[in-house]
Amino acid sequence: MYELKAVDKKFPGVHALKSVDFHVKRGEIVGLVGENGAGKSTLMKVIYGAYLPDGGTVSINGKPVRLQNPRQAMEMGIGMVFQEQSLIANLTVMENIFLGYEAQFVRFGVINWKAMADAARKQLAKVKLDIDPAMVTSQLSFAQRQLVELAKVLTLEERVQGDLVILLDEPTSVLAEDEVKMLFSIIRELTSRASFIFVSHRMDEVMELSDRIYVMKDGQVVDTVERGKSSPEAIQQKMVGRNVDKEYYREHRQKSFDASAELLKLEGVSLAGRIRDIALTLHRGEVLCLVGTEGSGREAILRTIYGMLTPTAGKVTIKGEAMDRFTARAAVERGIGYVPRERKIEGIVAGMNVYENMTLSQMGSYSKGGVLNVGAEKALARDWISRLAIKAHSEYADCGNLSGGNQQKVVLAKWRSGGSDIMLLDHPTRGLDIGAKEDVYEMIRDMSDDGAGVVLVADTLEEAIGLSHTILVIKDGEIQKRFACEPGAKPTLFDLLHYMI
Amino acid sequence: MSIHQLKSHFPWITLLVLVAIVGINDPNFLKPVNLLSLAGDIVPLFIMALGLTFAIYIGGIDLSAQSMANMITVVASVYLASFGPWVALLCVAAGFALGMVSGYVTTKLLVPSFISTLAVGGVCFSMAKWLSGNRALNMEAAQRDSTFGWMIGHTGMIPNELFIAAALLALCIFIERRTTLGRALKAVGAGELAAAASGVNVARYKILAFAISGALAAVAGLLFAVKLSGGAPTIANGFLLPAIVAVLVGGTPLTGGVGGVINTAIGTLLVAVIRASMLYFGIEATQQQMVFGLVLIVAIALTIDRSKLRIVK
Repeated sequence: MYELKAVDKKFPGVHALKSVDFHVKRGEIVGLVGENGAGKSTLMKVIYGAYLPDGGTVSINGKPVRLQNPRQAMEMGIGMVFQEQSLIANLTVMENIFLGYEAQFVRFGVINWKAMADAARKQLAKVKLDIDPAMVTSQLSFAQRQLVELAKVLTLEERVQGDLVILLDEPTSVLAEDEVKMLFSIIRELTSRASFIFVSHRMDEVMELSDRIYVMKDGQVVDTVERGKSSPEAIQQKMVGRNVDKEYYREHRQKSFDASAELLKLEGVSLAGRIRDIALTLHRGEVLCLVGTEGSGREAILRTIYGMLTPTAGKVTIKGEAMDRFTARAAVERGIGYVPRERKIEGIVAGMNVYENMTLSQMGSYSKGGVLNVGAEKALARDWISRLAIKAHSEYADCGNLSGGNQQKVVLAKWRSGGSDIMLLDHPTRGLDIGAKEDVYEMIRDMSDDGAGVVLVADTLEEAIGLSHTILVIKDGEIQKRFACEPGAKPTLFDLLHYMI
Repeated sequence: MSIHQLKSHFPWITLLVLVAIVGINDPNFLKPVNLLSLAGDIVPLFIMALGLTFAIYIGGIDLSAQSMANMITVVASVYLASFGPWVALLCVAAGFALGMVSGYVTTKLLVPSFISTLAVGGVCFSMAKWLSGNRALNMEAAQRDSTFGWMIGHTGMIPNELFIAAALLALCIFIERRTTLGRALKAVGAGELAAAASGVNVARYKILAFAISGALAAVAGLLFAVKLSGGAPTIANGFLLPAIVAVLVGGTPLTGGVGGVINTAIGTLLVAVIRASMLYFGIEATQQQMVFGLVLIVAIALTIDRSKLRIVK
C-alpha cells in the first residue's frame, strides 16, 4: 500500500539512505530497528514528509507521490507519533488534538468549544483514554500524553479518505510495563483502520508487536524478518554486523575506583525549578552515571558543575576547593571538561580546523602575551589525531566536515590534552555508529585508568549500566536512588525504570 | 572547483572584472596615478570598514561607526589646540570606550547589537552637536600641518594615507590570525555556543570586538578631520552604508565567523571602483547611496549563511 523504492538521501559528508526499499501492507505492523545513525530517523522523516528523498520513488497504492512537507503527508494519510512528545504543554488536550485543524469548529470566527470537546472525546475513546478533553496537557502522565499523541494522529481517519500509515517513534521509551501492554493492545485493535511503523530500541517489544521487521545498518536495509522467524540475538547481530556481548561496554576494563580520592562533591545543590537538593561525590577513576527521563534534571546538574548555571542553594566543591563563582572559565581552570550533548552546536566549532578546536579551551597554554604559538598547536593536533586515530586529512581539516565520531574525538582530545580530570559527558555516543561508540567507550575506560572522574549522561540505559561504577537515578530534579554497578552485580533495566518514572 | 569553493573567490574576481570594465571604457582610469589617488581617497572609509569587520565577524553589527567618526571630527577640531598631538590618543580612547559601552549593552544587558550601537551612535551624534554648538569647526591650519600634516602628505607618488591603511591592516591581520583575541573572535563568530562551552569568556571578547570597531571608527574620524581640516556633526554622513557594503561584498557575511580583514580590504577597493565607475557612467553623487543600498541588499542576500539564521525578522 505504502511503498518506497530505491530511496536515496545524502547529507554533506553522510550517505544517510542507500537505495532503501520499504513497504507497508494494509493493517500491518512493521518494525524498524537499527543502531543510532543507521538511518532510521532519516527514513522516517522521508516517510512523513520532513525530507524529500534525493532519489527513488515514494508511492501510495501504486501511485507515485511527492511529499513536500509533513502536512502534505498527513493529507495522504501518513501520521507521526513523536518520541519527544510534540504536544504543547500549556494547551488543553482538545486544543492539542486539533492543533492546526480548528477551522471545522469555527462559526463566525469563534471556536465552538463544546463541539471540539465532543469531537476530542471521540478521538480519545479510540485510544481508550477517559479524560476531560478540557484538561491542560501538562497535568497528564507520560503514558497519557503518549496516548493523546496517538489520538491526535488518529484524527486523520476522519480527515483522510483511504488508508492510514502511522509512525510510532520509540513510543514505549518512557512507559512502564503495564502501560506498554495497554499501548500494544490498542495498537493491535487499531490495525483494522491503520497500518503502523514501529521504531524502538527494545528488541523484545519490536519482536512482540511487529508482523515484519526491517533491520537497518549504515543507511541500508540489511534484512527483513517475518514474525517468529528470528531471535533477538540474531537481529541484534545483523544490526551491528557482528556479535555483541558485554565486552561491548568494555566491562572487563572496569576497575574499582579509589573511594578516598574525592574529585568533586555536590551538597544540597538546588536550581529553582530544575534540580533540588542534589548530593553526589565523584572519585578518581569513577564513572558516575546520571539516569533519568528527558527533562529530569540530568543536564542541569552537568551544567551546574560546569559553571554554566549558578545554583540557588548548596555547595559545589572541586578538588577540595569550594566554588563561589560559577563560570565555565573557572570550571575549566580547575580541570573540568564538558562534552555537550549537541556536539555540532556546543561541542565543535564548525568552520574552525582541528587544532583551532583542540586549543580553544586552553589558548592560554599555547600563547604568550596573547600571541598564539601556532606551531605548538599544530603539533598537539597531529599528536592527538594519531593517538585517537581521528580520520581527518590533516590538522587543517574543518571540524564541521568530519564525521560525528571524529568530531567527538576532537572534543574529547580538546579536554584530555589540556589535562582535564573531571569529565562531564552528556550523551557522548549520540548519533555515532557502532565503531565510533566503541572508541568512545575505550576512551572512557582510558580516562578511568588515568585517574580521571567521569560524570556521564548516557544515550541508553544499557550504556549507562554497562559503563558506570555508580548510577544515580534522577526524577523531577531529585535523586531517587543510588545503585552500585560493580561488574557482575549490575542493576537491570527494570530496576532503573522503576525509579525513573 | 565547485560553486561553493568558488564563492570565497568572488570578491577579488569581481574586483578585477570591474576594474577591467571601467578601464576599457576609460584607459585613463588604469593609470597608476589615478589608481593611487583613488585608493588614497578611500582610506578613511577603509579604516571604518576595518573596524566594522570585527563587529560583523562575531555576528554583530556596529551602526554607531559613522556617528562615532562625526563626533571624533568635532573632538579633534575642538581639542587640537589644547592637547596638540595627544588629541589622537583622546580620540582613539573615546572611540574604544564608547565601543565598549555598545559591547557591554549587547552582552550584559542582552540588547541586540544593531539597537545598542544605534543608541550609542545617537549619543555620539548628539555629543558632536553639543560640543560643536551645531556648527562646522575649523582646525588651525598651521597647527594641523605641524601635528598631523604627515598623514595627508605624499611619499613619492604614494599618498601617506595608504601607509597608514597598510599599517592598520597589518595590525588587524596579526590580531585576527596570530592572537588569542583573533582566535576567540573567530570561535564566537563561527560557533558562539561551542566557544562558551569551551570556557571562552565570550562576553569579554565581544565587548573587545565592539571596542576595536569604535577605536577604528575614531581613527577614521580623526583622519577625515585632518583631511578636511575641521569637523562637523554630519561631516562623515554617507560613510556607514558604503563601509558596511565594503565588509559584506568583501566576503564577511552578517552571520560572522568567516571572511576577515583582508576581505574587507578587497571589499573597500570594490566600493572605490564602484564609486569611480558611477562617475564614469554619469551617476550623480546624490544617487550614489541608492546604488550602495542595492549593492548591500544583493551582497547580504548572496553571502549570508542561511543555516545559521533559521528565522529572519
